[in-house]
Amino acid sequence: MKINPIYWQEVRVSSRSFRLPLIVFLCDTIMALAALLNMYSMVTQAKATAEIQYASFLNLYVLVACIEFVMILLIVPALTSGSISGERERQTLNLLLTTRMTPADIVVGKLMASLSTMILLIVSGFPVLALVFIYGGVTVKDIVLLLLTFVSTAVLSGSVGICCSSVFKKSTIATVVSYCVMAALVLGTAAAARAAAASGPSFSDWLLLVNPAAPFGAVMGKQMGSARRLSVFETWTGGSFQRLTAGGWLWLSLVVQLLLAGVCLYTAISQVNPRRKRRWKY
Amino acid sequence: MLKVEGLKKMYGRMAALDGLCMHVKKGALYGFVGPNGAGKTTTIKILTGLLLPDGGTVIVDGLDAMKDPGKVMEKIGYVPDFFGVYDNLKVWEYMELFSACGGLYGLNARKRSRDLLEQVGLGEKTEYYVDGLSRGMKQRLCLARALIHNPPILVMDEPTSGLDPGTRYEFKEILKDLREQGKTVVISSHILSELSEVCTDIGIVEQGKMVVEGSIDDILNQINVRSPLLITVCRNKEQALNLLRAHPYVETIAIRQNDIMVGFTGEQEDEAMLLKQLIEAGVLVGGFVRERGNLESVFLQIINHEEGMVLISEN
Repeated sequence: MKINPIYWQEVRVSSRSFRLPLIVFLCDTIMALAALLNMYSMVTQAKATAEIQYASFLNLYVLVACIEFVMILLIVPALTSGSISGERERQTLNLLLTTRMTPADIVVGKLMASLSTMILLIVSGFPVLALVFIYGGVTVKDIVLLLLTFVSTAVLSGSVGICCSSVFKKSTIATVVSYCVMAALVLGTAAAARAAAASGPSFSDWLLLVNPAAPFGAVMGKQMGSARRLSVFETWTGGSFQRLTAGGWLWLSLVVQLLLAGVCLYTAISQVNPRRKRRWKY
Repeated sequence: MLKVEGLKKMYGRMAALDGLCMHVKKGALYGFVGPNGAGKTTTIKILTGLLLPDGGTVIVDGLDAMKDPGKVMEKIGYVPDFFGVYDNLKVWEYMELFSACGGLYGLNARKRSRDLLEQVGLGEKTEYYVDGLSRGMKQRLCLARALIHNPPILVMDEPTSGLDPGTRYEFKEILKDLREQGKTVVISSHILSELSEVCTDIGIVEQGKMVVEGSIDDILNQINVRSPLLITVCRNKEQALNLLRAHPYVETIAIRQNDIMVGFTGEQEDEAMLLKQLIEAGVLVGGFVRERGNLESVFLQIINHEEGMVLISEN
């Protein structure tokens, strides 16, 4: 099987750099510390009260999942927003474009490289997430569904990062803009949904379709069986987990977000294509 | 091998290329010369598929670059005026990356990379990191990279800029080797003396148009006709000047110590007749030679645009 050369080169270079092990180490340390402190508090409480609250273990699961989700939102744009602009800054993009590689090959190779880094992070944090299996309450199917939302979020935020990287020539500007776009998608749509909730709940649910935090919140809410633990999310967005978890909203949301990622990738490919008629420059 | 007709490119309202034509024969080493902003890099970017022209045609080995850009790119190797290297990649890995980008994998890729690195003199440096190589080595690596898919045409944009004389000499030798291998090379450079040493053909571009194009010998012969006659007079200078003033082919006369520099429009036979007339008039002629033009004088004459003005070579 022929591996995309851009992907192969990115993986080779990132595996040599100090950045990747540092990111993995920091992320896993944060998750492990949060999990261990949570467990310590539960054990201490059990010693003091002589009763074990099994719901607390689910809280541990929610905590670790939330940390992992936030890390995806924060790390993936940083990994991808310099991918195309970095090639431009190194003056290697033109060299790649004079080979057999198409703009699509280059963009997809970059996305695959950042996703593989993200998957490494998710997999390395899996033992911490799997602590909940010791006490039960969460099935393998639940974990798979959670991973699906992680992957969807990583694809969306990675595509946004690559899109910004292809539109803006400087990596710094591309990074700032991709964080702004992700903030608009997560916080902006949440605020808009809250404002729209007054006029009617269905409209706010439509707005939340493009919010990567909404399917994650819906999955968490569904798995917890109680909206109480994630009531903060409902308060912020005006959405209701009962509505979001009902029917096919979750799947529709994942499909919409992957389509949005597709639009971002298409934009990136057309921006990278040197034979495209340029209308604007940044 | 390479035929460009009526190439046009606008940047806003400014015309970078204004109907440029270019004809490169198979196996030629074509020097592409012009002042800054003449349109050299724009032309090269269009040839290599990095820019879309606003008009005109580019035919590469019988293929229309506008209709079939993918196949055309396979026929062209591009060496830009920058190095374009990745940090944290070794020389062999860099070559392997571009082999794969060119559709060459496995043992074939490794063998081709090794052969090319040997050819450019980097056979011993395969385990070195690319960013640790010297400027000259990086440029040679870029050349090896451009040749990885064995293209029949090599397009080089200012490949020797910033290199020391020793490395430039080595680079010239590599170019000669490539020509012997049958490659067609288009090379843009400002170092005109170097181009005249290695190039077989030349094209001078100015303000987006091809001003002069042809084999280097033909162009130098043309320009030599416009170069001044240098007559060294040992005795009877006044008589020589009177004769020259009355001669129908003499346009300008300038005196430099014992030498008389004559703007002479006649052919070689007319030169011989003038010499005979001078001797018959009793002028003692110590030297009689047409100053030989070089590529720099051709270039300067063309870009200065002053009809009849002859610039003396600095050599």
